[in-house]
Amino acid sequence: MRHFLKSRKCRMISSVMYPVLFGVIIFVLWETQILHSIMNTSTDVLPVPSKIASVIGENITKLMGNLWITTVPTLIGLAVGSALGYAVAVIASIFTKWGGGGITLVSCFNAVPIVALAPIFNNLCKHVSTDIGTRGMAAKALVVMMLCMASMSINAFRGLTELPPFSTDMMKSYASSKRVTFVKLRLPNSVPYIFTALRVSVPISVISALVSEYFIDTREGSATFCPGLGRMIRDTILKCQYSAAWSYIAIACLLGITLFVVLMIFESVMLKNRQKQ
Amino acid sequence: MRKKHKFPPKWLVTSVWIIGFLLLWEFGAFLVENNPKIQNPEYILPHMWQIFASFFDTNLTTATQTPFQVVLEACGATLSRAGIGFLIGLSAGFILALLMNLSHIVEKVAFPYLMLIQVIPILGLAPIILALTGDIGISRMVIAAILTFYPVSANTLAGFKSVSTEQKQLMFNYAAKIPVTYWKLMFPTCIPYFFTGLKTAAPMAITASILVDTLQGDGGLGCALSQSLKHNTTIYVFWEIVIAAAAVGIFSFYLMGMIENMVSPLQRINRKLKRGDKG
Amino acid sequence: MENIKEPVKNDIEISIENVSMTYQADNGTDVKALTDINLQVKKGEFVALLGPSGCGKSTLLNIIADLLHPTEGNVIVGGTTPKDARLKQRYGIVFQRPVLFDWRTVQKNVELPLEIMKWKKEDRRERSTKMLGLVNLSDFANHYPQQLSGGMQQRVGIARALAINPEILLMDEPFSALDEFTKEKLHEDILRIWRKTHKTVVFVTHNIQEAVYLSDKIVVLSPHPGRVSAIIDVNETLPRPRVPEMKTDVAFNQLVLKVRNSFEEV
Repeated sequence: MRHFLKSRKCRMISSVMYPVLFGVIIFVLWETQILHSIMNTSTDVLPVPSKIASVIGENITKLMGNLWITTVPTLIGLAVGSALGYAVAVIASIFTKWGGGGITLVSCFNAVPIVALAPIFNNLCKHVSTDIGTRGMAAKALVVMMLCMASMSINAFRGLTELPPFSTDMMKSYASSKRVTFVKLRLPNSVPYIFTALRVSVPISVISALVSEYFIDTREGSATFCPGLGRMIRDTILKCQYSAAWSYIAIACLLGITLFVVLMIFESVMLKNRQKQ
Repeated sequence: MRKKHKFPPKWLVTSVWIIGFLLLWEFGAFLVENNPKIQNPEYILPHMWQIFASFFDTNLTTATQTPFQVVLEACGATLSRAGIGFLIGLSAGFILALLMNLSHIVEKVAFPYLMLIQVIPILGLAPIILALTGDIGISRMVIAAILTFYPVSANTLAGFKSVSTEQKQLMFNYAAKIPVTYWKLMFPTCIPYFFTGLKTAAPMAITASILVDTLQGDGGLGCALSQSLKHNTTIYVFWEIVIAAAAVGIFSFYLMGMIENMVSPLQRINRKLKRGDKG
Repeated sequence: MENIKEPVKNDIEISIENVSMTYQADNGTDVKALTDINLQVKKGEFVALLGPSGCGKSTLLNIIADLLHPTEGNVIVGGTTPKDARLKQRYGIVFQRPVLFDWRTVQKNVELPLEIMKWKKEDRRERSTKMLGLVNLSDFANHYPQQLSGGMQQRVGIARALAINPEILLMDEPFSALDEFTKEKLHEDILRIWRKTHKTVVFVTHNIQEAVYLSDKIVVLSPHPGRVSAIIDVNETLPRPRVPEMKTDVAFNQLVLKVRNSFEEV
């Protein structure tokens, strides 16, 4: 028995058991409303999980519609922003002397808080199209794109330039051209750094998409406008429809978690045989 | 024959890029101005000099204040409110990292939930936290605290784990008790990591404060932001706020750096050594 | 393989009896790091634990230092258990890497054990200055470890290990990360310090020449499983004091050959 307790299997099981146990305890406290008395809130504002689940079940198609509106610009912005950020890093690594400034500039986008970026882009996109839905999506995608660009360019630049010692010397000793060095050395070296950037930009993309939705000016909207998740969270709370609000919150959290899990799976596949850094 | 190693100097590169950016901006503003479909070009993209000029505008935009005063006062409100949440978050984050390092069980329980906090869009949940707490001041503090909490605890824990086995064996050899080991070894090691966490968290706490302001009018940058968007004040207040918000975010980052230099001379020493004055 | 034992004397500092160390590898099999080790170290003796990687020499040192517990057997240090010896701060320990705290100056690094023992400030200062003088680093007292070379950092580590005046100095491959020139200098330093302070030294190394040059007695360990292959008395062949010129002597090199041949192949 002592042998088992010290063994690796036991350690792995307990890594999973303890947090699950903790989660179950919180869940039970919540469902039985003991949590409510601790936090001094009513079940209106904080519905029990079973109620939230039933609301989600009843309105699943509508929720999916809202989810779509939020997810599409998030993914577009993520893809385009990361690609552009990587491109910026590539250019900066080729023109090393002047490139560094470009990276600094792009990374400054990180400094402007999302709450400021979102209205700027919403305004900028006012005349992109007459449909408020498209305008909103375009603005959201742009905000996400800016932030992903910033994160990716810094990390990719490091990945392309921080090489193991003497590796460029080694490539030169085989008389390889700059292009070959790039493809065979710098590019593969930068892959772990891409994932470092994505670990940060995926959660930030979801957050910035949600926050941007707050700032969409619905006064000029059409009747068929379908808001995103963030907007719905805010609106339902303002109207005190708390169960609906929590169902939107749950879906938004699931979105964040799912995207991150997908990223982790993708990362473990791509980095399968590498040494742990 | 190689060029001199230091050319071009870093400040020149950065300046060129900033100028390039400003030119791009001006070009965009020019396009917007000359577009017949747009009635109020400054709502979309004003010229930089227009924004700059508005800082010195003495026309009263609200009943009592010039645009700049509005922004300044709002800044103070936002910062003070973010500050309290920030302090709570960093203390809680540090304590959790400490507990996680002291106890395997705490570490195993807390680790997945920490990852969860990282991934859940907390900022997007601002309205519900406001509803839960019922009070805008408290909700501001809660969100700022949660957003500060994760970077501080993750980074501090990394700092604790960076202590090498041999260092711990050294303390063990001298029969140093646990509090002594923490005070003399673990805490000094984790200080640089702690400040990395603070530098990440400070701008986020400010962002949180601004966002909560937008939900309910109570002074602060976010409130001024949504007011200006609804055309209650001149649109330049909006742009000034954008710049002010960015400036505050950058400032908080550098403030953390300054505090770190005061608390722990290690970084300063290491930087001096890198520049090559060996003793 | 015969059990190699020595006659018991009253001035035995460290006595290792039938010590074995077995632990579980990741795939579940048992790894015998040490089997049935018997060894005695006299007071003031300089003993080398010599062997290739995996022979258990660092494990044995860690057992003496109370950093590990043997699965079988006894270790007696100065009449008590290793744990007692450690709690009474009777060990000075030097690792392969200097393990200095880079937020403290050199002098404050040497004072670390004294702080833990709650010495007064003036006493600490006096003692650390003396120790830095012993390793010839007095001029660098206010420097930071990052400003010193590897050899100098290791000397600080030695000064720190000696600060509390321990009876026993435990050294785990302290010079293996240094270049040849620095190593030779430090050999002379450590011999000088040992002559002056009369400590008992247990010195782990994988370098045969180093072991022969420095020690009174070499304990040769072979791996798989870790065991004592031979205990070779160096003083018989090479008298003290040792001088660098000895390294070209025929006797020296014959002894090196003898030590090499006493390793048992797996």
